[in-house]
Amino acid sequence: MNVLIVEDEKGLALEIDEFLSHEGFTVEHARTKKSAEEKIFVNNYDFILLDLGLPDGDGFDLLKMLKGLDKREDAVIILTARGAVDDRIMGLEQGADDYLAKPFSLSELLARMHAITRRKHRLESNDINIKGLRVNIQNRTVIYNDERINLTKKEFEIFNYLVLNKNRVISRTNLTEHVWGDVLEINSDSNFVDVHVKNLRKKLSQYIPIDWFETVRSIGYRINI
Amino acid sequence: MKLQVKLALYNTLTKVAIILFTGLLILLSIEKISYNHIEVRLEDDKEETLKSLSSGEINSFLNSQKVYTDYNILKEEFITITPEAKYNPKTTNAIKFTTETRRVDRNIQTYRILSHRFNFKGHTYLLEIGEAIESVEELKSIIKKFTLLVLFIALVLTLISDLIFTKFLLAPFYKIIDRKLIKVNDPMNFDYEKIKTTTQDFELLDDSISSLMKKISNLFILEKQFIANVSHELLTPISIISSRLENILLHEDLSEGSENKMHASLKTLNRLKSIINSLLLISKVENNQFDKVDVVMIAGVIKEIHEELEDRMDEKHLTFTNHIKYIYSIQGNRPLMHTLLFNVINNSIKYNNPKGTITISDELTEDIYSIIIADTGAGMDQKQIENAFNRFEKFDTDEKESYGLGLAIVKSITAFHNIKVQINSVKGKGTRVKLIFDHHNQLH
Repeated sequence: MNVLIVEDEKGLALEIDEFLSHEGFTVEHARTKKSAEEKIFVNNYDFILLDLGLPDGDGFDLLKMLKGLDKREDAVIILTARGAVDDRIMGLEQGADDYLAKPFSLSELLARMHAITRRKHRLESNDINIKGLRVNIQNRTVIYNDERINLTKKEFEIFNYLVLNKNRVISRTNLTEHVWGDVLEINSDSNFVDVHVKNLRKKLSQYIPIDWFETVRSIGYRINI
Repeated sequence: MKLQVKLALYNTLTKVAIILFTGLLILLSIEKISYNHIEVRLEDDKEETLKSLSSGEINSFLNSQKVYTDYNILKEEFITITPEAKYNPKTTNAIKFTTETRRVDRNIQTYRILSHRFNFKGHTYLLEIGEAIESVEELKSIIKKFTLLVLFIALVLTLISDLIFTKFLLAPFYKIIDRKLIKVNDPMNFDYEKIKTTTQDFELLDDSISSLMKKISNLFILEKQFIANVSHELLTPISIISSRLENILLHEDLSEGSENKMHASLKTLNRLKSIINSLLLISKVENNQFDKVDVVMIAGVIKEIHEELEDRMDEKHLTFTNHIKYIYSIQGNRPLMHTLLFNVINNSIKYNNPKGTITISDELTEDIYSIIIADTGAGMDQKQIENAFNRFEKFDTDEKESYGLGLAIVKSITAFHNIKVQINSVKGKGTRVKLIFDHHNQLH
């Protein structure tokens, strides 16, 4: 899948590029509104990661232009340091698929991109198989041998996020922010995410051994596949 | 003491002093003038008498060395000539005036008396001519009474008129105080319209306050812009560092120690992000960068927050009781109201003791709705309550990550929505936060 990063901060664009390339995406950059326009005219992208504050204009204009084009299904994720609720609503109203406030974690970005892919293509085959467990994002279920494992909403969110970011240590902070959102003043250091993970592991281990579901001491969790 | 009363009292006192002074002056001069009159008359009488010594009746009295006394019918005047026992050849022409009470016939009266010694045919006599001064005394007492009456009336009248006048005079002053100082709790909403007054001093006061407010609000705006800009500019570098650290973590050849350090750094960055976002939020709320167009149903928001925080409560084994009776909605900003209630309830979890309780109730009295969030936690003493809303103020808590901005956010959001906050707390017993909704943003 190919991604266009519209971001004037070179450092950030490079990091996103490195991360997404590592995940198998093909990445292109645009640092100004003008060059982004040119690229968007020429190519179709699966994803456009759009910064709102560009040196030569507002990212919203790009979004408007894109939505004016025929037969385009490029998914747009707005990345911005503005972070205002109004911007978020405006972005989504104008047809952006998601909105991430800077600073965001790259694993969160990846999770959002996966979610959009599934939403757009509605493919059953998009179910993820892991050690005999079938994770269905649409129905938010985990199934083992046609038997549904009864997970709470939050347990599913945690499991899904860890699966998407497999083979990578996901810190509690990251996990908390993903599951509970960017709530100010919520205590990300608290171990209450542990309670959910503990329950999740207990439920899963009733079906299969879960040695692949690793607790990384003092940091967080990792699912190894 | 009020300026108005002070001025009135001062005016009254000076008026009393002036009236007393003139009254005394009049009294004294009346005495002086009338005595003078009497004395001139008495002297004339003396001359008459001395001239007529050798004639008729007086002469026979003098010859027989008896006391000669004469008076008119009303005893207003009398005259006596008393022969003295010893002859004193050296009499002078001196006359003496005295005021004495004398018995004339059977009447006792006060007289102004002229005494004069003179020699006549080898004898010394004492001549006394008296004139009753009762009428003068009467006049004096009338003037005294009159002065007192005038004094009293003047006193009352001036006091009343002064009070009314100064009240009228000072009205713009109190208007300035009320409108420009008391009612202004935020320099951003200052009313620059001039208060109507013809008193230059008040105009000066008004202008001074206005220009002071202008300066203050400029500083405020500058400070808020600074916070907003700095916060915004800081978020991008944080984003770069955080992404970079995440990418480093992808490298498999990383040692465990380095990996731990990376994660610790990410956590620190996250903390930095939270602080900046909180400051940014406060600054935006204070800059009125949010609108208030949502209809926010309080009970609904509470229910939502309860669901979000349920696991945190379970973790601490807290009992949550929702006693909300009314379906009350306000016009406001929904995300902000959510943040406000979230922070308050989150605090009541954070500072609660294990197995404690959180009780939410509401009341509606005389059109004023309030919601009460009570916990059985650590509580605060008076000093802590006073400081609780300050930025970066935090108390001992088991939890390591507390930025001390939660209640500062609460403060700015409540101010934005005209919600009053009351905190009752007993150290060690618990805290009761009451949010009182102003009926201006009420909506049924």
